[in-house]
Order: sequence, then C-alpha cells, then structure tokens
Amino acid sequence: MMWPEYVTVAALISIGLYGVMAKKNLMKIFIAISLMETGVNLLLITIGYIPEGTAPIENGNFVKYVDPLPQALVLTAIVIGLSVTALALTLLIRYHSKTGTLEYRRGMKW
Amino acid sequence: MVMHPVLMIAIPLLSAFIMPLIKKAHRYFAFSILLLNTALSILLFAKVYNEGALYETIAGFSPPVGIYLAVDNLSALLAFLINIFATINFLTSRQDFRFSMLYLLGVAGATGIVLTGDIFNMFVFFEITAVASYALVASKKDRKATEGAIKYMILGSVGSVFMLVGIAIIYSQLKSLNLYDIAARISSMDPKMMWLSFSFLLTGIGVEAELFPLNGWVPDAYEGAESNISSFLSFGPSKASIYAIARLLIIFSMSRTYELALYLGIVTLLVGELAAFTQKNTKRMLAYSSIGQMGLILIAFSLMDKTSYAIPAAFFIIVSHASAKSALFLLSDKDGFGDMSSKYAGLAGVLSLIGMPPLAGFWGKWYLLMGVADEKIWAVAAIIIFSAVIEAIYFARYLYKNMEGKESSRNSIPAAVMVSISIVMGILPILYNMAGGVLNA
Repeated sequence: MMWPEYVTVAALISIGLYGVMAKKNLMKIFIAISLMETGVNLLLITIGYIPEGTAPIENGNFVKYVDPLPQALVLTAIVIGLSVTALALTLLIRYHSKTGTLEYRRGMKW
Repeated sequence: MVMHPVLMIAIPLLSAFIMPLIKKAHRYFAFSILLLNTALSILLFAKVYNEGALYETIAGFSPPVGIYLAVDNLSALLAFLINIFATINFLTSRQDFRFSMLYLLGVAGATGIVLTGDIFNMFVFFEITAVASYALVASKKDRKATEGAIKYMILGSVGSVFMLVGIAIIYSQLKSLNLYDIAARISSMDPKMMWLSFSFLLTGIGVEAELFPLNGWVPDAYEGAESNISSFLSFGPSKASIYAIARLLIIFSMSRTYELALYLGIVTLLVGELAAFTQKNTKRMLAYSSIGQMGLILIAFSLMDKTSYAIPAAFFIIVSHASAKSALFLLSDKDGFGDMSSKYAGLAGVLSLIGMPPLAGFWGKWYLLMGVADEKIWAVAAIIIFSAVIEAIYFARYLYKNMEGKESSRNSIPAAVMVSISIVMGILPILYNMAGGVLNA
C-alpha cells in the first residue's frame, strides 16, 4: 500500500486548487498551478512505481522494473508545464508594466 | 496515392519552427503550408470515405503500445474544416512572423486533436493548441488582451492538470492509453474510478470547449484578442475540443454520461444565449453566443447513442458556427458593414447562425430537432426553440446596428468566402444524402 504518496498527491493538488481560487496575486496563482502540476506528475510516477523496482533499462539482470510509460508521460508533462510557466511569467511582466500591480483588478472577476 | 494523416500534423509543426529563419517570406510560406494542409485533408477525407476508417501507427510500434492516429469520416471532415478556415483566416493577418509561427502551431495542435487515437497524445495536442492560443490572444499588446490571456491561461492550465489526472486514473486501471483499447475494456473498470476519470477529463476538456461553469475566460479572451485571432479561437481549439468530448462520450458510453453531457449542454446553451442577449459590446456578444452554440453542439453529441440524427446535427452546427461566427468575428474590428461583401457576409452569417434554410445552421437545428422528436424529449426541443428565438432577437439588433455603419472591416472578403463555405455546405444536396451514411460510419 502506497498511501503516503497518494496523500501527498491529493494534498498538492488541493493546495494548488485552493491557491488558484483564493489568491488575488497572479504570481501566487501561477505558483499554485505549478504545485498542481507537480502533484499530477507525482501521481503518474506513483502509478508506475513498483517497490524495489529498478530503472527500466535493459542490462542483463532485468527482473523487476518500474513501468516506463508513466515516466515518459511525466517527462512530457514537465516540459509542457515549463513552457506554460515561462509564458505565464512573460505575461505577468507585461501585466505589471501595464497596471503597476500583480493583483488582478475587480473587473477581472470570473 | 499514399496519404499519411501524420503529415497534416508534422508539416505545420515543423514549418512553425522554420518561421523565425525566414522572416521575410513568412506570410507566403505559412500560407502555402496551410494550403498544402487543406489539400492533404481533402485527400485524407477521400481516402477515408472510400476505404473506411484509417489507423496509422507511428514510428513502427504497433498499438496498444505505440502511438497511433485514428481517422474516421467525421474527424477527417473536421480536419478539413479546421484547415480550410485556417487558410482563409490567414489571409487577413497583418502581424509579423511570430504570429505565423503561433498560428501554425495552433492549427497543427487542433488538427492533431481530431486525428489522434491516443489519449495522452490528445493531451499533448491540447497543450500545443492552448499555449499557442494564449500567446496569440496576448499578441495584441494592450491591457485588455493581456488580462484576457492571463485569465485564459489560468483556467486552461488548471484544466490541463485535471485532464492529466483523468488520464492517470485510466492508465492506473487499464494500463493503456489507446482510445480504442480503452473503449473496449472500459467496462472492466471499477465504476467509481470510471466516473472519477470521466469527470476529470470532462472538466479538463470542458475549459477549452467553453462548457458552462468553465467558460469564464471566453468573453475576455475573445474581446481582448485581435479580431482574426478571436476568429481562429472560434473555429480551431473550440471545435477540436468539442470533438474530443464526443470521443470521450463514445469511449465511456454509459447512458448516465450521455445524460450528464445533455444537461451540461442545455445549461451551457441557456447561459450563453441569455448572456449574449444582455451584452452591449459586439465582440462579447459574439463570444457568449459562441458559448451557446457550443452547448447546442454538446446537446447534439449527447444524443449520439440514441438517434442517428445526432452526428449530422452536430456536424452541421459545427460547420455553420465555425464559418459564420468566425466571419462575424473577422468583421467585428469595425462597427458596421460598409461595403457589399461585408454586408453579404454579415447577413448570410447571421441567417446561418439563427438557422434559416437552406444554410448549414438550418440543417444542424433541423437534424437536432428531428433527433429530439424521435426521442420524444419535448422539454429539450422547447429549450432549443426558445434559445433560437433569443438568438434571432439579439442578432437582429446586431444586424440593425451594423447595417447602418458606414465603416467597413478590412477583412470583409475573407469573411465573405468563409460564409460562402457555409452556404455551399448547406446547399450541396449530395451532402444531405451523404450526411446520414457518411457521418454515422
């Protein structure tokens, strides 16, 4: 049973979701989104993990190894997350130069 | 003729990254790539129509391990629509090479979403389209566009996290990412897990597909963006993602999930149309009206398991909305239809959207009402007719306001061409006979 991992996943995603919904500062919102992404990546890794499994590299003593597919997915997801964060920070710089603040104004409500 | 659907994704993706190297000729190059893609999509449709659904494996790994593309008639037609509207819409661009680059990325992603047969691949294409769209919305450098893009980005990123959680749950249960493999073995999944993953995936895709509680970004992003980019958003990402939801419904295919989609569609339709009715700003009105139409498409898809009218209905609403709404967005950079071609595009577009025969929008609503009548769910029929009436009222106001305007949009001729496609698709009598047979295959 790997419950600590799943609890961590749930905690990361919930903290991130709370941050997105409750924070006013856009920088904090994007930090919260990064937290959620980390949570999902951990979830994927946990799904593919086998206790005492080795890295899925074929080298002769190839008995018990972790599922390689989720690792490939996480690699992709990390790259996507990175690009989204980079674009977000660029937009935040522009937002700051237009408005002088990183808080979103009231007109921007959902 | 050897036709690989993967070319339709790979060519624009590759040429997007060549764009910075050929700054001078970027517009001609991007336009020829889009034309080539449209030609390929026609060949693809011809092939799928003659030989039946097509499965192409990539990089030599056979499914269910390898990534593969699955193309049926509906997805080939949608790929064609996305590419031809992208080509026409590109004629209106006056931006620099960065626009061409992002635009090609967006088109490649949207085409990928409709052609892919792998759920994680679908996620990646979603992200490609979404990141390109965020940047496109923000490419107009004023405050409104920046705010719209940030809002779109926050919701879009949260949506993509949800989608990935849904994929992770499916993978943990079935150890498979292949859509057909998942569809075949879905019943062996624990029902609780099935609902969990379905809800996560629906929430994730629903952000892009403008479904009701998740569409807060729609009016701001559409209003803030340049008019040709709002037009791109309304035929590209949103159409591709509503099709992704249709595929999701087919995979899970439980009567309860269809029911959920039906209710979501009804709420989205009503909220969108009523909000559009109260709007003063033209672009916001068009954006809310888009939400309403997406609801209508979702209603059509949610009847897929019951009636054979559902898919033609969804298809014709998609055609009508993709062409007419995109054209109206193109015209929305100026208040007024000054010249003949914008008068024609505006009038025909509005008529198609409110469902006047013999335009594509009429056939969409006609098939939808036939399907609803078959099922004898009269409440839904009443809601559809009610929303059509509201639509007619606010579009009449819109036409009245714009017909008086003396200025005319610079985009009027591409807009007229777009609307003409909707008219041709509505009038071609072959298509009526085809619609039933082709789209249900």
